[in-house]
Amino acid sequence: MNILLILAYVLLFLAGAFLLYMAFRTDDRRFIYLSVAFYVIFPVLVTLRLPTSISPEAKQLYDAVEALPDSSTVLLTFDYYPSTLAETEPMSRAALKHLFRKNCKVLTMTTVPLGGPSIAERVTREIAGQYGKIYGIDYVNLGYKANYVAVLKGMGSSIEAIYPTDNSGTPLSQIPMMKHIENYSNIDFIFAVSDNAIVDYWISIVHAQYGKRVGAGVTAVSAPQYFAYLDAGQLAGMLGGMKGAAEYEMLVKQPGSAVKGMTAQSLVHLFIVFSVIAGNATYLAKRKRRGGEKA
Amino acid sequence: MSIIEFLQIWIIAFFTLSLFSFLYRDNPFYRLAEHIFAGLSAGYYVGLVWNSVIIQQMIDPMFDNGRWWLIFPGFLGVLMFSRFSRNYSWISRLSLAFVMGNTAGIFLLSELHGKVLPQMQSTMLSLNPGQGFAKFILALVVVVGVLSTLIYFYFSKEHRGALGGIARIGIWFIMVSFGAHFGYTVMARISLLIGQVQFLINDWLGSLIKIFA
Amino acid sequence: MKTTVPIITAFLSGLVMLLVFFFNPEKSAIGRLEPEVLSWVTIVGGFTLLLGVVSIVRVNYGAVKRRKEGWKYKIATLISVFAMAVPAVISPRVSPLFGTAPGSIYDWLFNNLDAPMMSTMFAMLSFYIASAAFRAFRARNAEATLLLLTAVTVMLWRIPMGEIMLVKIHHSLPEIINSYIMNGANMAVQRGIIIGAALGAAAMSLRIMLGIERTYMGK
Repeated sequence: MNILLILAYVLLFLAGAFLLYMAFRTDDRRFIYLSVAFYVIFPVLVTLRLPTSISPEAKQLYDAVEALPDSSTVLLTFDYYPSTLAETEPMSRAALKHLFRKNCKVLTMTTVPLGGPSIAERVTREIAGQYGKIYGIDYVNLGYKANYVAVLKGMGSSIEAIYPTDNSGTPLSQIPMMKHIENYSNIDFIFAVSDNAIVDYWISIVHAQYGKRVGAGVTAVSAPQYFAYLDAGQLAGMLGGMKGAAEYEMLVKQPGSAVKGMTAQSLVHLFIVFSVIAGNATYLAKRKRRGGEKA
Repeated sequence: MSIIEFLQIWIIAFFTLSLFSFLYRDNPFYRLAEHIFAGLSAGYYVGLVWNSVIIQQMIDPMFDNGRWWLIFPGFLGVLMFSRFSRNYSWISRLSLAFVMGNTAGIFLLSELHGKVLPQMQSTMLSLNPGQGFAKFILALVVVVGVLSTLIYFYFSKEHRGALGGIARIGIWFIMVSFGAHFGYTVMARISLLIGQVQFLINDWLGSLIKIFA
Repeated sequence: MKTTVPIITAFLSGLVMLLVFFFNPEKSAIGRLEPEVLSWVTIVGGFTLLLGVVSIVRVNYGAVKRRKEGWKYKIATLISVFAMAVPAVISPRVSPLFGTAPGSIYDWLFNNLDAPMMSTMFAMLSFYIASAAFRAFRARNAEATLLLLTAVTVMLWRIPMGEIMLVKIHHSLPEIINSYIMNGANMAVQRGIIIGAALGAAAMSLRIMLGIERTYMGK
């Protein structure tokens, strides 16, 4: 079976190389689209589990959450649009599983208007159901309020002033879990999962002014910029993209869609690296030929 | 699997494939899906604002807790719609100024206190070679990189002489950073496609297999 | 008057936030003002989200009325807006299908139409980036070569198969990439950008508060 699998992958690479050659010959980019589709579909159909190493920043975040005393209160944010669900939802799921396993009280919220409240509601209820957690006692979904800067700043003095009710309209004063949570001083850790620059403000407003530890799960597009905050100690840890989500899934010992997606990720990356090299090789060959003709 | 779940999966698959069909060429299915998507996204905001702002932040506190003064921010919010009038659009400036001024006040301190000072502090690294070769090289890379990047982005003076030389070094560092960014961006985009393909194969084709099996 | 009152409003609104930074919210009157002012800002900010909706309805209705090109598709847009909005504003006491709670029409349309379509729109970018990698990314000069080499190295480093390849070249190559590229050069550049952008944002904030910057007010 292993030999058959290896043979299948070798044939896949040859097919990709052929499609790349056809794209070069016909100048039709649809051959490239077809090869990308092959490289994503095939590993989903024929799974090949690859060992996923854990990056230092993901381990840092895991250790920061693991070090929290059980029954701590954690603010988990769903600051992402539906467009990046493939990267960010696995992070939220793994984080919820980790937090519920530690019996942490989880307060969820979002600063993203389009879809944030619905995603937070769906994901939290599903994972809470798996761990037998009760709404209002173990977790609360605050929902969305406009103007994220005002929200982040306002929660520092009073969460109830910004969120008079939870996402479903129940006044916070009637929710048992919220009786002991007035503002950031009653929150032990902030786990911000985001696909935009909101993490910058969690750091510059909440961490800097209220001293709260912030850990972040971000998309791969934004991950490189947060190394500066990690180095300065302003971030407790970071998950970057689908690989970061896969790492956290491995750390909480609950492999999910992110781990399964790493094979397809590997193949397409290799294809793109090959495309860049092939494209530049033909470009350099053409340039040399033109230079030779001029001479 | 219930009929409703089955229909749900097939509706999602239909619109997903309609959007992907644009990769072959523009077609009516793609255009229909695109227009429906735009409409649904706009409609989502109506439900969100009605529920989370008007009901939860205004009506409930006003009637249940007697906070009648919340009518004023509501009024300021309604004034925003004067932007659609050619003659009275100036009225919306009051609401905008209130929000923008407030945000500016928060940013003025948070940007300096929360970003500039901590980042500068972390750049003040020891360049003592005695701390070990690896640490020394890394510290040198960081200090030279930060300073040369800041100098590169300083466009108030022409990049000539010493300034130009340091800016040149900054360009090299920036190329490395942008290369890393590009690598991560490729990863991000591919991940999004993997998510959709996982749905199409596991859920959509899986529903077909469940019917025939 | 049309400009002066908003400028004064912006200044006072910002001044309150500057002052509360230095006062204890529990012990001082100005500190106690902070949550109330911020709740007002979130309410006003919420109404701005509706501006785009009004605009989209106006534009699409106008296009349908004047039978502009593609007007039939614009009918679908308008129907979608109202199909989402109308059930959401009706009280859930009438039926659980109304409102915005899980199980409502609003929630169903979002989870089964809007969210998957948004994900698909962005998933298509992966095809374009692959096409651009082959057709457009050229090492035309030394800087572009450095960019491409770094990109290729990072792309290999981030995937399991690539990590195995890099380890075969040198056993500590992945750590070197992490230390000197990501936590070295990349981190230094990002730090420079963060400092520069933050200084710019602070300067812009001061300009808005002092009324020097007025572009947000429009004409």
